[in-house]
Amino acid sequence: MLKPGDDAPPFDLPCAFDDHISHVSLDGIRSEMVVLFFYPRDFSFICPTEVIGFHKLQPAFKQEHTSIVGVSVDDPETHRRWARELGGLSYPLLADSDGRLARSFGAFDETEKVAMRAAFIFDNRRKIVYAVASSINVGRSVAETLRVVRALRTGRPCPADWQPGDQIGPADLKY
Amino acid sequence: MAVLKPEERRRVFERLANIREIVFGIQDGVLTTAGVLAGLSGAVSGRSEVILAALASTAAGALSMGAGAYLGTRAETEVLRSELKRAREEAQGQPYVLQESLLGALANEGLTREASYRVVKLLSSAPQALFSTAEEKIYGLGGATFGNPVAEGLLMGVAFVAGALVPLLPFIFFSSIRSGLIAGIAATAAVLFGVGYFVEGRLADKPGWLSGLRFLSIALGAAVAGYVIGLAIAPLGTVPGG
Repeated sequence: MLKPGDDAPPFDLPCAFDDHISHVSLDGIRSEMVVLFFYPRDFSFICPTEVIGFHKLQPAFKQEHTSIVGVSVDDPETHRRWARELGGLSYPLLADSDGRLARSFGAFDETEKVAMRAAFIFDNRRKIVYAVASSINVGRSVAETLRVVRALRTGRPCPADWQPGDQIGPADLKY
Repeated sequence: MAVLKPEERRRVFERLANIREIVFGIQDGVLTTAGVLAGLSGAVSGRSEVILAALASTAAGALSMGAGAYLGTRAETEVLRSELKRAREEAQGQPYVLQESLLGALANEGLTREASYRVVKLLSSAPQALFSTAEEKIYGLGGATFGNPVAEGLLMGVAFVAGALVPLLPFIFFSSIRSGLIAGIAATAAVLFGVGYFVEGRLADKPGWLSGLRFLSIALGAAVAGYVIGLAIAPLGTVPGG
């Protein structure tokens, strides 16, 4: 799996957004930071908790100048129906139908032929600054992803469990 | 032929679920009693003593088999129910685990993932419907899995008695021990063949003659094997005090 410091692999994939099918490319995302999260499948009872979680916290991510992109191996039409089933989503779901993007991140489960439950944060140079993966049956904490985005945007060392408003370390402190 | 209503078909399935007790009881009753008659005919000179011993063996066998079936079914049902209760409690705490498994099971049976999702979501609006579908699709448990201990015990006992009467009745009707024994063994073979022919051949739509011969050869094979083992261990000595 790719790790912090690696370049985010470029992509240009069909997606479902706002009940339409369109395309999203990494180059086309203008926000300062990007949260890209992989999830196994649409129409599942585990995935919606985090898909909806990202939707609910999207305004907070936007406030941090951060775009959200969800990716699975489902086709764009299925994504569209899934997003509609969930009541509409405020970010695009990318169709990585052949799993190529997930493989380029090292986040593809070759046995199940689906993406792992992995999330990456890219900075403004589109370098990976955060990478996390969990068991296919365990959902991620969206609030934790937001906390990490906020911590990264301070540009300063942040201690464990740092929350906005807590003290941050000096700019020249490396470790 | 008239098509049965699903509810009637269900009752047929429930009745057929007891076929194991019937076959087991008849086979055991037939062979045990035939064995007792054959064994005692050589050792005891009086015909009435042989009949009395066979009747006593039949009564003991029927009670033992009936009690065994009752206790076995009761234990199995209790254990399964308890495990199922545990599974339900777990599912109530984390319903999405059960939902996801059921979704996978339905998708494996040919529904699309999206259709499976919608079915499971709909079932989830009535937890009892979700659990009972999951019990069948995920755990492989159906209504027939939970036997009725009393009914199965009675059925086993009655089947044993019915089987025991097969070699016993000719023995009672024929005045000579030898003729009764021959007729009894012939009836035993005929009934064993008939059970195989009817149960596997007719009810399960398999080749009847082949099913009858298989049933007869397995049942008689077990009896002959027991006899041969008895002959083999006979030289080892006599029973202490005997």
